[in-house]
Amino acid sequence: MSDKWTPRIVVFQCQYCLYSEADQKWMDTQLPPHIKLIQVPCTGRISPLFVLNAIQGGTDGILISGCQPEKCHYKEGNLGARRQLDAFRRFLTYLGLEEGRIRFAWIDVSERGRIQQELAGLEKTIQAMGPITRLATRAIPVGEKR
Amino acid sequence: MNSLTLAIRQEAARLLEEKIVDVVIGFEAGTLPLKAQPAFITRKEEAEKLVFNGFCQNNLAAYLTRFPKEKRLGIICRGCESRAVRALVIEHQHDRDKLYLIGVPCTGIIDWRKIERRVGENTLQAREEGDEVIVTTRDGEHRFRRADVLHDSCARCLHPNPVGADIVLGDPLPEGDPERAWAPVLEFEALPPEERYAYFVQETGRCIRCYACREACPMCYCTECFVDHTAPRWTESMITPGGTQAWHIVRAFHQAGRCVSCGACERACPMDIKMTYLVDKLSYDMMQQYGFEVGASDEKQPPFAAFTLDDRNRFVR
Amino acid sequence: MYKILPKADLPRLIEKWMEQATVYAPVRQGDFTKFEPLSDPAQADLYYAANTRYPPKSLFLPQSEVMFRVKGSEFEPTGDEVSSRVVLGIHACDTRALQLLDGVFVDRDYQDPYWARKREQTTLVVLGCANPCETCFCTSVGSGPFDKRGADVMLIDLGNEYVADVRSEKGQVLFDHLPDASQEQIDASRQVQAAAAAKMKKPFETEGLKDKLYNLFESGFWATIQQSCLGCGVCTFLCPTCYCFDIVDEVQRNERVRNWDTCMFRIYSQEASGHNPRPTNTERTRQRIMHKYAYFVDLFNEIGCTGCGRCVRYCPVNLDIRQIIRSAQAWEES
Repeated sequence: MSDKWTPRIVVFQCQYCLYSEADQKWMDTQLPPHIKLIQVPCTGRISPLFVLNAIQGGTDGILISGCQPEKCHYKEGNLGARRQLDAFRRFLTYLGLEEGRIRFAWIDVSERGRIQQELAGLEKTIQAMGPITRLATRAIPVGEKR
Repeated sequence: MNSLTLAIRQEAARLLEEKIVDVVIGFEAGTLPLKAQPAFITRKEEAEKLVFNGFCQNNLAAYLTRFPKEKRLGIICRGCESRAVRALVIEHQHDRDKLYLIGVPCTGIIDWRKIERRVGENTLQAREEGDEVIVTTRDGEHRFRRADVLHDSCARCLHPNPVGADIVLGDPLPEGDPERAWAPVLEFEALPPEERYAYFVQETGRCIRCYACREACPMCYCTECFVDHTAPRWTESMITPGGTQAWHIVRAFHQAGRCVSCGACERACPMDIKMTYLVDKLSYDMMQQYGFEVGASDEKQPPFAAFTLDDRNRFVR
Repeated sequence: MYKILPKADLPRLIEKWMEQATVYAPVRQGDFTKFEPLSDPAQADLYYAANTRYPPKSLFLPQSEVMFRVKGSEFEPTGDEVSSRVVLGIHACDTRALQLLDGVFVDRDYQDPYWARKREQTTLVVLGCANPCETCFCTSVGSGPFDKRGADVMLIDLGNEYVADVRSEKGQVLFDHLPDASQEQIDASRQVQAAAAAKMKKPFETEGLKDKLYNLFESGFWATIQQSCLGCGVCTFLCPTCYCFDIVDEVQRNERVRNWDTCMFRIYSQEASGHNPRPTNTERTRQRIMHKYAYFVDLFNEIGCTGCGRCVRYCPVNLDIRQIIRSAQAWEES
């Protein structure tokens, strides 16, 4: 693996989950260019199709960050999301995707600075795994199997 | 003619005569020896057309959502069909009081592909005799043990008896063996990831996107399927790996906690794609994680529609 | 011109063709066969199944075909990559289907360059059906197991050898060096052909069918026969004569593509406004049958069905087109 390779990372972030203004500001303005931020009103808005689209498009790692169970701005949006997205990740693993490519961070009020740690952790895992190959099928020609 | 067929005809005729239902959905003899055809009976004299045997390969609950809600339907229900009806009623697709379920314990559907693989394409006649299936082709008679030619989903069926039926015709059968039911999922899971992915690529690589799996499925009733959306377009429209893999992933995932494991999708597929192993994994997870089984209760919501704070820390990682 | 080809010599002949052209033949894929380019003559399996499951129309109208690519502000054409091809082991019904589709794609006012280019580059070495299937009905729709229309060469199986009926210049190029068939062999091949056609059942009559269907247009017939139809695309996608396609701009791929489409899908006729002129399965089923047995006859004076039987065999609910036509013929308005 060449040292130069930088993983492509997508963060799906619930807009309420970062209680620290500094963290949110960092997310909004300081994210390195290989990390794409997709902010959603609530993790409940994240359809498994979003995740699949990112994977098919060649995203090497995905971080989904949301609120702790009882802290959802919309009361229970995250509860449904957690069930669905967790099952979806398990399902993709069953199909053969490496387990560490999708990571969850359910962030609590006191956890200032955790999002940065989670991103660093994800990046480390992905660096060790290398670029995504399985399920990254967008734009493969007809008849070719990959 | 078997005694079940006779009992079904009598019951269907009675339901229509006493005006308990408007339509009885069952099977009539097909034009091919190894297949039967879904039939829609509205007059009691037509009840004579109905048949019931191992060649009835469709899940009749798939037709339930095609009728307006005010229609009173009588449906021949095997185990899987009755569970699908329950799930559909929970999802408000029909009123239970407008349905009359004619329950039939099921000994499994005969897989015509398994037979043709052994005898070739030219079947002239086929019949069941006890535990045997007797097939006549151009080169003579072939006998099979029923168990050897059952559809895979039926061979590992957990609940052959109908649930919540209004009447049950025939004797109840022993329940299936869970170990046998889940063995394929566990075996597949034990394979190395690259082999699992290679298998998925190989199976989906044959897909022609005819959506027979979707249409044959009792639980696929969305008025607009995600693959039919054009704005936004969720998947590639082509038969590229991107398009076909997305189809099979999302189709299966949408069945999580809803699939009744009838195998109708696989039986409908014109390209022999193995796909029940996908949804079976999700069903297995739903059972392990949430103790949920489709059709076990007539009021419990599927796991993705019901969630609780008790899930609390299960996912935190 | 009749040539003789011992079966044992076929692999060597294929190898020879492969030097000049891409050779397509039925290749086994699990429990069925599909036309694939050969890399080794041994891959060809002409007898495993009567018909390939996936129709050979895909060699000329691929299910997903890139029409052009966009690079920056430039258009990049596709399709030039088609080189000389031989299709071996295609049956009379599928060959006939290609000929019917020529009517749609090249013989009328509009020429489809994608189709035409592939047709021009292809030689069809047809294998006549000595053993038609139970689900075949080519003789009922104006064709037959040894229908030679559209064939460059027709192979007739005599057991140990093929009699090759070479019918075009393209065919001559492939078979010219082979010895001529003897009169005896030619006679034997005629017997095989007659015997095969005689074996076939005739599930329906087509006399007066078109008018009957037009008369049924508004009747309750369609609502009755469509009840079990699931609305999937099996019959039309596997059909050798269905040719509808949908053009899509795949923005993320920078491609304009065309995909097979089918009148059996709800969204096929859905308009941008949301209105759907064929709102239910009833209208869609009617369209499918009428197109093949009435509209096609109006346009080309031929039935748009070649009797290959794929839709009969693979319909998930056993909705049998032979039965539909029989019922239509017998239908009396009540």
